[in-house]
Amino acid sequence: MATALTLRNLWAAPDRAAQATTESGWVRWSLIAVAVLFLGTFLFLPLAVVFASAFAQGVSVYFAALREPDTLAAIRLTLLAAGMAVPMNMIFGVAAAWAIGRFEFFGKSFLITLIDLPFSVSPVVSGLIYVLIFGLQGLLGPWLAAHDLKIIFAVPGIVLATTFVTFPFVARELIPLVQAQGNEEEEAALTLGASGWQTFFRVTLPNIKWGLIYGVILCNARAMGEFGAVSVVSGHIRGLTNTMPLQIEILYNEYQFAPAFAVASLLALLALATLIVKSAVEWKTLRSAEQPEASAVDLRTTEKLTPVIGAKAA
Amino acid sequence: MSIEAIKISKRFGQFAALDNVSLEIPSGELVALLGPSGSGKTTLLRVIAGLEFADSGNVRFDGHDISDRTARERRVGFVFQHYALFRHMTVFENIAFGLRVRPRDTRPSKKQTQDKVHDLLRLIQLETLAQRYPSQLSGGQRQRVALARALAVEPKVLLLDEPFGALDAKVRLELRRWLRQLHDEIHITSVFVTHDQEEALEVADRVVVMNHGRIEQIGSPEEVYNHPATPFVYNFLGNVNLFHGRLEGDKAYINERETGHVVYVRPHLLEIARLPNGGSHFRARIKHINAAGPLVKVEATAEWGDPVHIEMSQEKFGDLQLSKDESVFVIPKDVKVFQNGEASQAK
Repeated sequence: MATALTLRNLWAAPDRAAQATTESGWVRWSLIAVAVLFLGTFLFLPLAVVFASAFAQGVSVYFAALREPDTLAAIRLTLLAAGMAVPMNMIFGVAAAWAIGRFEFFGKSFLITLIDLPFSVSPVVSGLIYVLIFGLQGLLGPWLAAHDLKIIFAVPGIVLATTFVTFPFVARELIPLVQAQGNEEEEAALTLGASGWQTFFRVTLPNIKWGLIYGVILCNARAMGEFGAVSVVSGHIRGLTNTMPLQIEILYNEYQFAPAFAVASLLALLALATLIVKSAVEWKTLRSAEQPEASAVDLRTTEKLTPVIGAKAA
Repeated sequence: MSIEAIKISKRFGQFAALDNVSLEIPSGELVALLGPSGSGKTTLLRVIAGLEFADSGNVRFDGHDISDRTARERRVGFVFQHYALFRHMTVFENIAFGLRVRPRDTRPSKKQTQDKVHDLLRLIQLETLAQRYPSQLSGGQRQRVALARALAVEPKVLLLDEPFGALDAKVRLELRRWLRQLHDEIHITSVFVTHDQEEALEVADRVVVMNHGRIEQIGSPEEVYNHPATPFVYNFLGNVNLFHGRLEGDKAYINERETGHVVYVRPHLLEIARLPNGGSHFRARIKHINAAGPLVKVEATAEWGDPVHIEMSQEKFGDLQLSKDESVFVIPKDVKVFQNGEASQAK
């Protein structure tokens, strides 16, 4: 009781208004405990287990597992798929956000729904769609086979599936931002003689920069971690069409726990890196939003204004 | 450079923003487009700038038809109501923008750009703030930077959309006088949009009064204030008392509702007296007196029940020693009578 009281005194807000909306110490501590317990069980503990299991048989086994040719191929393929899907979705996302945020056109709400589609469809279904279109028995299958083009059970299918699943991230991040900013700055650039591209690179892009980076980070994390859709189109050919998540599954199913967790730890590290960059970006956006509004520089406006002769502008 | 707008019409869906508007602005003039919100004044300005395209009609600069040219090709200076400064650029970079985006063969050198920007910073008296970001400036400072940015490209025409609309009263007053002085200095053809009649009358060479997408009157500030062409203009420029009445010869009889005229009297053209002086007059009872400010504002009820607003000097008020609920005589010194048909539109 004594500790609870001192803590309460420490934490209690000094003014009455805050007190009215503050719970008693007992409620606060139990809520905090529930949150910590939940996070611990569902986030920190699994993360710790991943790294513990990865290093369970020693550091040498860990690095040997990562140097295994099939694993290296999986890492390369994951990087390739993300490396293609992310830039594509970045370009698409900026274009879509610009079109949706700035213009009124027929079918706009339909386009927004389409962009959200990959979020609402199960990744397995997304993968199956591509099998049904490009697979041997699929819509374009015979034509592709006749021209000796392989999409399903090959790298192009994996890139396609990854792109589809990560489609909404950048666009979703940018649309509200572009809508909120309006187009006055672009109009200003235009009247000042800037071309469309100059306006885009010098005015539009710097304004959406942090939102774009944020969207790309999320997009990349999902692209590298995608399992369901890629699993359907990949065909699980070792060393050829296995991405990192698929490789982890195979290793795990073969009871190679240390190597499986070694690869998993790489993805976990990616997640951690993503989180760090994400918080950095959030901090940065918050800071630029909080720039002091006209902090005590108002003095000059109260001075008498007179145009200075000799400084003719036009 | 002179500006001509010829029979401009523009609709937004069902709403007619501009309805067959024609306007001619001689070179070097400072013109105010004045009207209530929704009157089409901003749309007209944007059509002239090329930020909006008219459904029909032409825009000419110096006699050349430029209706099909984009905002970029028209080379006008445009100042936005909310400044539209580039938020990620410093004051210096904002002003230099128009020079830096020029094609390589006409782009000024680094030194020339710097000199130009510093000249403009001196003009707007913000030399010390060149490295600040827009978010670190006050509203008045931002608007001056926006003006300098527009002037940097040496436009032949300067267009300002409610340039002082977002500023507080004191800065507003200061900045509009400064704009007037600046215009006298550089003589650039300028058009500014405002809904503040005081601002338009004080700053502009000519005032264009707009309502419902049409031009009601064009004239010097004195003309539109003293000789309003329509009831709307009379109503919009300054306070006014509105009575129903009848016209017989050169005499107006008020308080006869069944007849077809509306009589307008400005509050300062009504005089209060204790005794009828033999001329035209009516009785009224004083309801409220507001003596704060240079003019004393008196609210009274006319003998037939309508409210009447009267303004008088503090001196006159001191002589009269008026008090609330007192019965007095009101003597109109000058009235303006409009036909009912026109007047109904002014309400």
